[in-house]
Amino acid sequence: MLKNYFKIAIAVLKRRKFFTFISLFGIAFTLTILIVATAFVDNAVSANYPEANRDRSLYINMLEQRNPEKGYSMNGPMSYHYASTYISTLKTPEKVALGTMFTPTNTYVANKKLVIDLKLTNAEFWDVMQFHFLEGKPYGQQQIANSELVAVISEETKQEYFGDVASVVGKTIETDNVKYKVMGVVKSVPVTMLVSYADMYVPYTASKTNLKTKSYNGMFMAVLMGRTKADLPKMKAEYASVVAKVPPGDAEMKQVISHADKYLESFVRSSPLRGKDGPNMSMLYLVLVVFVLLFMLLPTLNLVNINISRIMERSSEIGVRKAFGASSGTLIGQFVVENLILTAIGTVIGVALSFFVLQYINSSGMIANIHLTINFTVLLYSVIACIVFGLLSGVYPAWRMSRLQVVAALKA
Amino acid sequence: MFKHLFKLIWNKKKQNFLLITEMFVSFLVLFAVFSMVVYFYQNYKKPAGFDYNDVWVATFSMPEHLQSNDSVNLFAEAMRNSLKSMPEIKELSFTSMNVPFSMSTNGTSVSSQQKPRVHTNIFEVEPTYKDVLSIHMVEGRWFQKGDHVAKLRPVVLNQKLKEELFGSEPALGKTLGEENYKTGQFEDRFKVIGVVQNLKETGDYQAIESGVYRGMDSGGLRWNNTILLKVQPGADAAFESRLFKTLSNMTGTSIEIEHLEKKRITKNKLALVPMIIMLIVGGFLIINVAMGLFGVLWYNINKRRGEIGLRRAIGASGSAVSKQLIGEAMVLSTMALIVGSFFAVQFPLLHVFDLPASVYVAAILLAIVFIYLLVFVCALYPGKQAAAIYPAVALHEE
Repeated sequence: MLKNYFKIAIAVLKRRKFFTFISLFGIAFTLTILIVATAFVDNAVSANYPEANRDRSLYINMLEQRNPEKGYSMNGPMSYHYASTYISTLKTPEKVALGTMFTPTNTYVANKKLVIDLKLTNAEFWDVMQFHFLEGKPYGQQQIANSELVAVISEETKQEYFGDVASVVGKTIETDNVKYKVMGVVKSVPVTMLVSYADMYVPYTASKTNLKTKSYNGMFMAVLMGRTKADLPKMKAEYASVVAKVPPGDAEMKQVISHADKYLESFVRSSPLRGKDGPNMSMLYLVLVVFVLLFMLLPTLNLVNINISRIMERSSEIGVRKAFGASSGTLIGQFVVENLILTAIGTVIGVALSFFVLQYINSSGMIANIHLTINFTVLLYSVIACIVFGLLSGVYPAWRMSRLQVVAALKA
Repeated sequence: MFKHLFKLIWNKKKQNFLLITEMFVSFLVLFAVFSMVVYFYQNYKKPAGFDYNDVWVATFSMPEHLQSNDSVNLFAEAMRNSLKSMPEIKELSFTSMNVPFSMSTNGTSVSSQQKPRVHTNIFEVEPTYKDVLSIHMVEGRWFQKGDHVAKLRPVVLNQKLKEELFGSEPALGKTLGEENYKTGQFEDRFKVIGVVQNLKETGDYQAIESGVYRGMDSGGLRWNNTILLKVQPGADAAFESRLFKTLSNMTGTSIEIEHLEKKRITKNKLALVPMIIMLIVGGFLIINVAMGLFGVLWYNINKRRGEIGLRRAIGASGSAVSKQLIGEAMVLSTMALIVGSFFAVQFPLLHVFDLPASVYVAAILLAIVFIYLLVFVCALYPGKQAAAIYPAVALHEE
């Protein structure tokens, strides 16, 4: 019987090509937008290169100092002093990566200006982040202790600074009026990875600013990597207990507030979706779901309208089937199956289309070094959403049709 | 005529309900898109108020060994002299870091006798700032050397802040209060000496924000480590590299040199990208809706061949029939638009999103015109087809 439905569905699709085109266009386009949008979100959120250890890591991006009596506060990344005293000394994490926010620096090559985003890191940074080294190797504890002026650069920087040369390890790169010796070249990271992105990484001891300053706020962010995923709650609790005992860093400030969060949570915490006690993740998901539903409303209404027209067109067929004893349920079932077949075809086109769109975005250099892919969980959710909407847009017209009086249907 | 069309539609209200809903939702989508476009366009039309060409921004930090205000001022003076000795530099001004098109802002709250609290941007500048950016005075004067020693610090307002604080009343010579963050009280601190034309310093498509300019005091140079430089036209990367070396050798700290023109482009891109995405998505949704409408109207007309044939047979002309069908579609869209406008009007009434009411009104009008046009175009071809129906053929089928 399903085979029969399938045959009828294809025949109907062929009959009114214009209607078929509109329906398929609507479904495919809606799905494409959803998949591209989720590809962006997925790229920013999931454990992509080089932050492959994200699922067993916690991020500490912010430190807030507060004075509740007078009502003012200071908020921002941490100083090296704070990070090395209170974060690097934590017991539970296997490794603690410290890195500054990237700072743009200028360099001039052959009368051309180049902006190089510089990041200062510690040695563990290279263990926590899984960088892919095209040549050379990262700097280690030894180079940091000696305050050596060494650097790891990105593939893109190598190309821009040195041009097409085979190997640059051991060569000198100058930026911000300082000469560094290149130790390694890594595959470039897109700027969307705020914690790991930079054009050039150098030991924190090469910093021009004084690392001994006792203030708490500075430029550093930390990533705590546990041995397994199960360590996350323990690390969170340990950091919370340490923060509770941190003395105020400033005579004006009374309270120190800082949290170790999972990657996504760390951003939600500093957004308007922040709840009373920490990031409100369910609120975030609710907002997303409502947004997606609203976006799909218009294409669905369109599909319902077209389906009604298409089914009304077949009223004589329905009249005959009813006259021969088909129940309303059977008829509804048939139309819904037909609509699902249509939705399935639209989904295939939509997936193919989004594949091409993503390819285009990747190669256009809109965001340098980004690599968007169709994630299969995302694909699954999108397809489920499409099928649900396919069902919705099929059921109502079918229900209306099945209530037609046999006589009226036959007469038309 | 309209009453008749309305009756025809009312009799088929069930079939038409979904069509109306679809038009209604399309109207809301268009309203959102047009609000954004109109808002950006209104901002874009306003004059820039300053000249960002050949202006560079240099950011540095003061060497850490300079502790007292005097040593910082001496150091800054030396910097100024060696920069001024470069023939490529026309003028320069030390300023706070919130230079035009930057991502940083600096805010404070001020009060006048009319208004108890107005939030505004505050810029710390030097007397040369006006020449670096070619700012135009509307009334009063700009800062001079030695202004900052007065008990009430002289300040210059931009037109927007002047209107917010004083309305149409004169502002020159008035005293302003500034909020003391520790106590939350307003203390008399400023005296207005001039008003400048609004500067569009947040980008071409952003709204103008209120701003107050304050002359830098003797300790100001410790915190305000940004220099705006007006250079000769045609100053190139070779000069920039020399400038960079000079600054870097003097301060021994990190230096960054940027160009206002390029910062402006970046800032505009940041504003335009969401709009372009919205336009693309909105455009596709509307194409989708247009094709759907076209299909449904076409189908409906084909179904009414008998009725149309009868009309033709008793004397209706072809154009009358097509007019009737287009009219029906228009009445349908009018119903959707009335409901849609009811919701859209709430935005200016309830001051959602803080946009000027003129933006919403223009957006509503544009969306209405657009929906009418869309429906008209979609109904045109099916209407024409209906006009071509031969009464004999149509009635014969029946």
